[in-house]
Amino acid sequence: MEKLRQYAFYLGCIAPNRYPGSEAAAIKTSKKLGIELLPLEGASCCPAPGAFGSIDLNVWYAMAARNLVLAEKMKMDIALLCNGCYKSIWEVNHKLKHHDELRDGVNEVLKTIDMEYKGTINVYHLAELLYDKNIVGVDKVRESVTNPMKGARIAVHYGCHLLKPRKDREFGSEELMNTESATWMEELVAALGATPVEYRNKMQCCGAGGGVRGYDIVHALDIANEKLINIKAVGADALTDICPFCQLQFDRGQIEIEEKFGVKYNLPVLHYCELLGLAQGMSPQDLALDLHAISCEPFLQKVL
Amino acid sequence: MARTKGYPEALDNKLRDRYVYGEDSNPEFTKTVEKISMTIPHMCYQCGTCTASCPSAPRSSYRIRKFVRRALLGLDNEALTDPDLWLCTTCYSCTDRCPRDIAPTDVIMAMRNLAFKRDIIPVNFLKTVQAIYTTGHGVPNNDVNRAARVKLGLEAEPPTTHKYKEYIPGIQKILDYYKLKENSDRIVKEREG
Repeated sequence: MEKLRQYAFYLGCIAPNRYPGSEAAAIKTSKKLGIELLPLEGASCCPAPGAFGSIDLNVWYAMAARNLVLAEKMKMDIALLCNGCYKSIWEVNHKLKHHDELRDGVNEVLKTIDMEYKGTINVYHLAELLYDKNIVGVDKVRESVTNPMKGARIAVHYGCHLLKPRKDREFGSEELMNTESATWMEELVAALGATPVEYRNKMQCCGAGGGVRGYDIVHALDIANEKLINIKAVGADALTDICPFCQLQFDRGQIEIEEKFGVKYNLPVLHYCELLGLAQGMSPQDLALDLHAISCEPFLQKVL
Repeated sequence: MARTKGYPEALDNKLRDRYVYGEDSNPEFTKTVEKISMTIPHMCYQCGTCTASCPSAPRSSYRIRKFVRRALLGLDNEALTDPDLWLCTTCYSCTDRCPRDIAPTDVIMAMRNLAFKRDIIPVNFLKTVQAIYTTGHGVPNNDVNRAARVKLGLEAEPPTTHKYKEYIPGIQKILDYYKLKENSDRIVKEREG
């Protein structure tokens, strides 16, 4: 047995507190792919890049740095499963590594709680690790599947903050640097035996970010609704994402869209980790799929 | 930054003056926005690629191009009091596509920071601060979720500040350092009583 690669598992808020099945699935599925996710004790909200970044970027830097220091103390790189968290944790890490003035400012604050940011670790999104053939790779994901999702048509929502802004990102692979017509998630979906489906304006935002979901929910839902129209038009059985906030926006959002706009989609929305869990033989109960606002039943009947 | 090209001094100075200011302009605003955002709105030639890429534009009067122009012209009041400032979802499509290598999204973030200094901020942003101050989480745990977690074989509280509450005072110290809780409480109270 190959030695497991260990990462500090940064949870964020929405995965552990609203869709805990994603957390359970991430830990379990990763183990079958050579990755061990260890608890990052005492981590907090990343903090939410839209909310905190809008109020005071300095607080955003300092709060994200505190989470980074916890992982530095474990001497471990961070793996996480949310695009919003990626923006905070990866981007602040990157900024603090390259801006001395910023780092000094943050360390002055951290000193008041006996912490120091050193810049000794790296931050990765789990989806990025799954796609990276030097870590896991699509082939290994395919080999881990015991319950291929034959016949299921799945649309991918990439979300924004893992990939964009491209000019700040430093992914090793060309595929991840493509923010206009990415297809690497489709490869990961196909590895599960499902059929990935393309749809109009695939790379568009879910509408929830930047505090807009809280500020003007009808505006935020209208953006999500545009995507749902396009996804329904190609006859997808489910939508998969790699960001619990996007997931919440599309899952609960469908209930809100029905209330406010009177349209109903019944499109199941699953985090890729949940999808991978099902494909590796985890049951819907193992994934707490009953917590989803939109029933996954029709999709489950197709794939189980 | 504009570079000296060895022209006669008067011409050199003229070329160096890359900003256009009118009576309503606050030149400091341009500088502060550039400093906070770490981007270069003065390079904007108003092509509109940003607005054309913006998911908020087709469904509102929000025009990102207009905000970049306001940064450049130093129109602080016009920018900071416009409610459209809060309709950016921070998707960074404009930033990805800007042919002048500007990050319009970060211009918006800088303007929001400056708006907050004038107490201009939607209440939902402040409620996130309050939640994090008490629990460490913007979206905290609840009983339904705790029960679900236990069924999954996870602990009822995730191994974050929820389980390790001893980390919360550190978070409060960081937020207090910037007087963020104090200001959030004050503004929420003023708005909601």
